[in-house]
Amino acid sequence: MSATSLYVDRGTWIHRLDARSTLAFVLAIFVSGYIFDDPRFAAVPLVVAFVSLLAVGGWPNFKRLSPIVAALFVVGLIVWPLFTGPGGPTVIDVGPLVLSERELLFALGRSERIAVFIVGGLLFVTTTSNEEIVSGMRQIGIPFAFCFAVGTALRLFPTFIDAAGTVKQAQEARGLDLSDGNLIERLRSFVPLLVPVFMTAFRNVNTQSMALEARGFDTRRDRTFYGASSMGGVDWVVTVASLVVIVGVVGLRLAGYGTL
Amino acid sequence: MTDEEDGIAARLRNVVFSYDRDETLPDPETLGTTDVDPDDREGPVLRGVDLDVPAGSFTVVMGASGGGKSTLLRTLNAIIPDFITGSFDGDVDVLERDVTATRVSEMATDVGMLLQDYESQLFGTSVAAEVAFGPENLAVPPTAIGDRIDDTLRLAGLESLDRRREPSGLSGGQKQRLVFAGVAAMHPRLLVLDEPTSDLDPSGTRELLSAIGSLAGANLDRSPGASETAVAAEADWDGPETIVMVTHKIEEALLADHAVLLQGGTVYREGPAREVFTDVESLRASRVAIPPLVEAFDRLGVPNEGLPLVPEEVPAAADEHGLRWTPPGRVDTEQSESGSPGAPADTGTDLGDPVFELEDVVYEYDTDRGPVRAVDGISLTVREGEVLALVGHNGSGKTTLAKHLNGLHEPDAGSVRYDGREVADYSMSGIGRDVGYVFQNPDHQIFADTVREEVAFGPENFGLEGEELDRRVREALETVELDGLEDADPFAFSKGQRQRVALAGILATDPEVIVFDEPTTGLDATQQERFMQLVATLNREESVTVVMVTHSMDTVARYAPRTAVLKNGQVVFDGSTRELFADADLLADNDLQPPHVVEASHELAAAAGMDDALPALSIDELVAGLGAEADMGPEADMGPEADVGSGADADSERDTDLGADADPGADADMDVDDAEVDR
Repeated sequence: MSATSLYVDRGTWIHRLDARSTLAFVLAIFVSGYIFDDPRFAAVPLVVAFVSLLAVGGWPNFKRLSPIVAALFVVGLIVWPLFTGPGGPTVIDVGPLVLSERELLFALGRSERIAVFIVGGLLFVTTTSNEEIVSGMRQIGIPFAFCFAVGTALRLFPTFIDAAGTVKQAQEARGLDLSDGNLIERLRSFVPLLVPVFMTAFRNVNTQSMALEARGFDTRRDRTFYGASSMGGVDWVVTVASLVVIVGVVGLRLAGYGTL
Repeated sequence: MTDEEDGIAARLRNVVFSYDRDETLPDPETLGTTDVDPDDREGPVLRGVDLDVPAGSFTVVMGASGGGKSTLLRTLNAIIPDFITGSFDGDVDVLERDVTATRVSEMATDVGMLLQDYESQLFGTSVAAEVAFGPENLAVPPTAIGDRIDDTLRLAGLESLDRRREPSGLSGGQKQRLVFAGVAAMHPRLLVLDEPTSDLDPSGTRELLSAIGSLAGANLDRSPGASETAVAAEADWDGPETIVMVTHKIEEALLADHAVLLQGGTVYREGPAREVFTDVESLRASRVAIPPLVEAFDRLGVPNEGLPLVPEEVPAAADEHGLRWTPPGRVDTEQSESGSPGAPADTGTDLGDPVFELEDVVYEYDTDRGPVRAVDGISLTVREGEVLALVGHNGSGKTTLAKHLNGLHEPDAGSVRYDGREVADYSMSGIGRDVGYVFQNPDHQIFADTVREEVAFGPENFGLEGEELDRRVREALETVELDGLEDADPFAFSKGQRQRVALAGILATDPEVIVFDEPTTGLDATQQERFMQLVATLNREESVTVVMVTHSMDTVARYAPRTAVLKNGQVVFDGSTRELFADADLLADNDLQPPHVVEASHELAAAAGMDDALPALSIDELVAGLGAEADMGPEADMGPEADVGSGADADSERDTDLGADADPGADADMDVDDAEVDR
């Protein structure tokens, strides 16, 4: 089956936003998720991002990444407490895992912080097409070559996953068994998978850059943008509100809220 | 500089080019033409090309693989020497510009280029964005781009597509037409097409060719037989002035009015398409596939000027030279089990017990939009030693079905039995040892540094080692004619060689069955021929059962005595290939375009009033059927030309003999309805 991008073509209000406003909105989510250590504060932007993602039809995208998010919280409970000291009463005492209240909150906060980036990022690519991302970045003054590179990377990723699936089948048909042997043997068995995937990608990149130039692509020359949107009333409201939120959460943090 | 008054769109003089940088290029005079296998040749790819492309022409460039066709095209828009520097010498002037001093992106204002691999040419995430990409790069005002999108999508026959749709969800044919629309939207004066249909299925090919044809119809000098419908795309642009195309499909080449044969990096012959494509000696010398009907009538002793190019011309040509048509089945031909003559390649004749038994197989894919039923209740039996072709549209379920045979897919309902036992009950290596699967693209599996290591990978995984392993690898490489190259790097091989390495990797496990998924895609005529000959030999001599998924109707006609046609996950025909090709309605319903030889025998039968006659499936059969009563010229006995890379093959001798001995009418008349197909 053919690879598709993460963009979900819907007509929600977030979809209709100018890419620059969506970027501001997502940036506000990122900042407010990042700035607080306390999971009770960081949960707010996480919930906002998650509910928004559901509202714009992004559930299938989240489902694909949900194992990573789940692993994030589980592994986080073990790893993050190492970066802080115990404090408060012991709240978890299961076998070897003993966590104080402070350690638990710290771990949850850090995991939420990363989850905010995943969910917020998904929200952005679910509601903003590649062209909108590229032309939006261009409109805020980022050099076109860089904008185009970002757009291409986003577009190629699903194709890459697709090719990896085909290679896996081809090698399994030749008896490749990925579940066998010790760690070294298992790592070695990935060579027959990785080499064809990367070689195919390299071959494609060559054809692709040739085709690009043949279509007149030239970063040293002016170009136009078809269908580039302009900032409307709602766009400005969202952008300004997002900036206010950013300033607000920085203010709260400086005032000592949300710390552990 | 090019003079448009001269009527020359592109002029190349003394062009020498090598992909290696800093190579000291020899004088073109001293290079000469070397007739060695391009896989082995060293030095420059282009070896002193002198060429004038007439303005207003549809020029086709043909030649053997490695002869420099694509390289030549790349000089027309400065990809060579601007983007691929290599070592370059000579003069190239295109549309009044000195290409050697111009950037690709500057040439792009006048020269549009469409490549074979459409996936690498899609840059947009929506249909509209894809078409807009080129004009945006040329800084066309956004308001004008909207008009161009409408016009070129109509030109490409894609006007009904939702503009916001993602290109990734389109069929291959639609994708390539979308790229075509994107190139046309740049309003090129010269359109360059590099094997534009090689990766497409038959319906995709037909759709793209009709788009090219309507564009060509807009203002080129028309070749006879091509579409006359002129489409004026926009008031200020009515199609490119000139088209240059590389292809190795002769049916496509016949769309052009001017032809160029490249051989060993130089122009061997050029001229009006009809003259070039009936010049059998030049075609042979430049290792270009001879149009099948031209070859057939040449072997019947018809002089060059009377050779037919397309099936419609065949009855008149036969009439003129006193040739009468005797359909196969009336000629003394060996009968297959179905009652009709078997495959020309004599494959699949010796059938044993059933190896595969498929019963009501159902398979569904999960997609974001819910489950899609790719295989919908298919029952099939494949017997030992059989050669079965699976054909049908992209998306008809052929590949999905084939992947059940070695356990890559397990059925959601129904059963797939190999050797009497459910495939699902075998381990992956248990079934993989017996059932080899050759994927379409060898690059999806080649990973090792040496050919030996690559070929040994499968058998090693299945537990072979030591002397036995060495012997298997050696024998497999001998079979695919790559012995002596054990230590070579497979990545440096040509596509044809890489496909043979992949096959050797399967053969080394000594399989009972080989499943091929589009084995000849991307190979030129010679490479395809060589590959299929190998498959036929394995079947005849080692009774290897072959199941092949393919779009190549010529391959089906000549090598597969039995064909199953799939449509929407169901089998709509399962029986003798010859009877399939006799059923015009069934073929049309499934977008199956029969080879010229088949169409020619229908034309001949119709002209003789034999409406239910079975068609010839190969050049040899056509020659035999026409030569049965005719005074055979000396050419008819010449047998195959080993180096021709066309329809002539190792079986010709047998078939030609057969034709000469034929006793027309002696055999019982074939009645298609009575034919019993053993299922």
